[in-house]
Amino acid sequence: MRRREVLQILATGTALQLAPSKLLMFLREARALIDTSSLRTLDAHQDATVKAMAEMIIPRTDTPGATDVGASAFIDLMLSEWYDDDDRTRFLKGLADVDSQTRALFGKDFVDCAAAQQRDMLRTLGEKMIEESAEQSRVEHEFPSDMSFYPMLRRLTLTAYYTSEAGATDELHFEMIPGRFAGCQSASPIKEVPEQK
Amino acid sequence: MSEQTSYDAIVVGSGITGGWAAKELTEKGLKTLVLEAGRPIVPEQDYVEHVPTWEVKFRGLGDRKKQLADQPIQSTCYACDEWSSKFFVSDKENPYTTAQGKPFRWIRGRQVGGRSITWGRQSYRWSDLDFEANLRDGIGVDWPIRYADIAPWYDYVEQFAGITGEALGLQQLPDSKFLPPMELNCTEKLVRERVSKHFGGERVLTIGRAAILTKDLNERAACHYCGPCERGCITRSYFSSINATLPAAEKTGRLTLRPFSVAHSVIFDSKTRRAKGVRVIDANSRATLEFHARVVFLCASTLESTRLLLNSSTPEFSSGLANSSGELGHNVMDHIKAGGADGVIPGNEDRVEFGRRPNGVYMPRFRNVKSKHPDFLRGYGFQGGGYREGWERGISQTGFGADFKKFLRGPGPWRFSFYGFGECLPSHDNYVELDTEKVDAWGIPALKIHSAWSKNELALRHDMAITASEMLAAVGATDIRPFALDEPPGFSIHEMGTARMGRDPKTSVLNSYNQAHDVKNLFVTDGGAMASSSCVNPSLTYMALTARACDYAVQQMKKGDI
Repeated sequence: MRRREVLQILATGTALQLAPSKLLMFLREARALIDTSSLRTLDAHQDATVKAMAEMIIPRTDTPGATDVGASAFIDLMLSEWYDDDDRTRFLKGLADVDSQTRALFGKDFVDCAAAQQRDMLRTLGEKMIEESAEQSRVEHEFPSDMSFYPMLRRLTLTAYYTSEAGATDELHFEMIPGRFAGCQSASPIKEVPEQK
Repeated sequence: MSEQTSYDAIVVGSGITGGWAAKELTEKGLKTLVLEAGRPIVPEQDYVEHVPTWEVKFRGLGDRKKQLADQPIQSTCYACDEWSSKFFVSDKENPYTTAQGKPFRWIRGRQVGGRSITWGRQSYRWSDLDFEANLRDGIGVDWPIRYADIAPWYDYVEQFAGITGEALGLQQLPDSKFLPPMELNCTEKLVRERVSKHFGGERVLTIGRAAILTKDLNERAACHYCGPCERGCITRSYFSSINATLPAAEKTGRLTLRPFSVAHSVIFDSKTRRAKGVRVIDANSRATLEFHARVVFLCASTLESTRLLLNSSTPEFSSGLANSSGELGHNVMDHIKAGGADGVIPGNEDRVEFGRRPNGVYMPRFRNVKSKHPDFLRGYGFQGGGYREGWERGISQTGFGADFKKFLRGPGPWRFSFYGFGECLPSHDNYVELDTEKVDAWGIPALKIHSAWSKNELALRHDMAITASEMLAAVGATDIRPFALDEPPGFSIHEMGTARMGRDPKTSVLNSYNQAHDVKNLFVTDGGAMASSSCVNPSLTYMALTARACDYAVQQMKKGDI
């Protein structure tokens, strides 16, 4: 769905004719799409790359995924208002490095790679993250290893998702007012999570 | 209509002790003015405990740049987050200075309710092990009271405040009048059992004792386990001035609560040698006002009450009002913490908690109770608890995709942490004074704090890490991580001792009823009064001392002695 279509549906009230479950999904998508227009740090390509990576980390399954909750808009907010300039610069450089690597390996930007190539890239980033974290205890760095691009992206993606309404309630079954405390009750079995396209 | 300026009593501060003084004095018939430097609090508007993460801009990570600019000190406190930072002062408006190389963290709240809105709620009685400690060790001055003097007042305040906990019958940690205890979780039960077996009953794990209702009490509802008490509590389930004592005072019709009233100094009448009242700067109009009363209670927090007295010098008391002893401002103490250990406790993987219990576990002091430790005096208690890791563990892992998402849907392993709070010894060399250059936003001299840990405190912290690791090992923990962090004093937010009680007016500021030796109608009932620090959280003792001092003051007034 394109931004223009979304705006049109919203403007004409067509959205209200959708089934409730579809409406919810639509509104989430709509929000994510509309948020793109107000990006302050990420450009369209960077945003698309962040979205693709975030959705790979937390995909939509039987519950919403990173895109549904507007993870990239939150990441843009954090880069614009929360992090220091150095951290933002490092993040954007890391993001650009991802494209350099996929171009060298596969001849394409990350967003244009096939799903298997993208997964390879994420695995490579993960391996590097573990190496850097192990190195941190031995070698002094100019910044903590968890402030490298990929750990930052993971922190931001997971935070955006699990602190969102869908992430907290649909996914983790967070209840604002439990009303009682039980210290040792049996855990409900974790449901299967089929990936949906 | 002109404002009333004359009252029976003035209370400076509306936090834990100010709230109690307001309740007790008004209930005993005194028309009481409570002066609060900060703004009023309307629970229906200001409490934010039920605002979910998705409704705050930075999802709970806080407005970092704004905090760095306005609250660089306050925002280092665990309780000062994106929701509750409004209950902490602006560091810009409320500066203080420290001696070279002696950092001190001063965490403060200026609003009606003070820090009682954000406090940790842990509530423990002192014992004679504490009240006799200075005499036994020849340190500081002897407490002018013993457990028997304060025990009935613990009973009294506990039955109004509501303290949940489990009775153990221990001598070093007397039981309160408890509401039913909160439940231990599976891992805590397991640790309790194994520790008790391994250490022959000398080390006992119990549920935290906390000022939180586990059943309805005095028109306040039992806890609903939403979790973040420091953001307020619309059901008034935890004890605070706003939730409990101020409404009780209000009910008498004798309370006048005046927010935006920054106390400047106590007015001393040299003819009668009595306090005449309090000089106030109105925070809004900046006008200087005077309020008069027969008795003045300082309940502005340890360092604020002391600062007020230091700023109230007169020809008779050139180094601060009621300071003929020269001890005003001295002997500042905190609790040394940040020593302990954390580990994974295998087992119970199919079990979880339901609800968010706003309370941890407690292990009463076991050092220097029955046997003497060679390396240090006094001791420490452990707080902590068992918990399961959440989605945050996924950040440092490499997984992604549907399987990873499913993995994070369930909780991580059970971990357990011990976190010590140790007793700090009083020392004349740890002191506060008025800064000669820096003033706050209202032109009142800032405090300069000179405070550092002694060898004894550092030895306690070291021992915390060792005993915590040893216990985790004994209960079969894996991935044990000991810690002993280099945290400065102040960070336990248990500062106390700068207007200490004592038997001798030559070496102490207050007598056994929190009454200034030098000025009979002046009382200080906050943490300033403490002659030693014990290792337990102090607020319950401040409450009991305040209620006791109010009772005494009113008796003296009736007799005509005040």
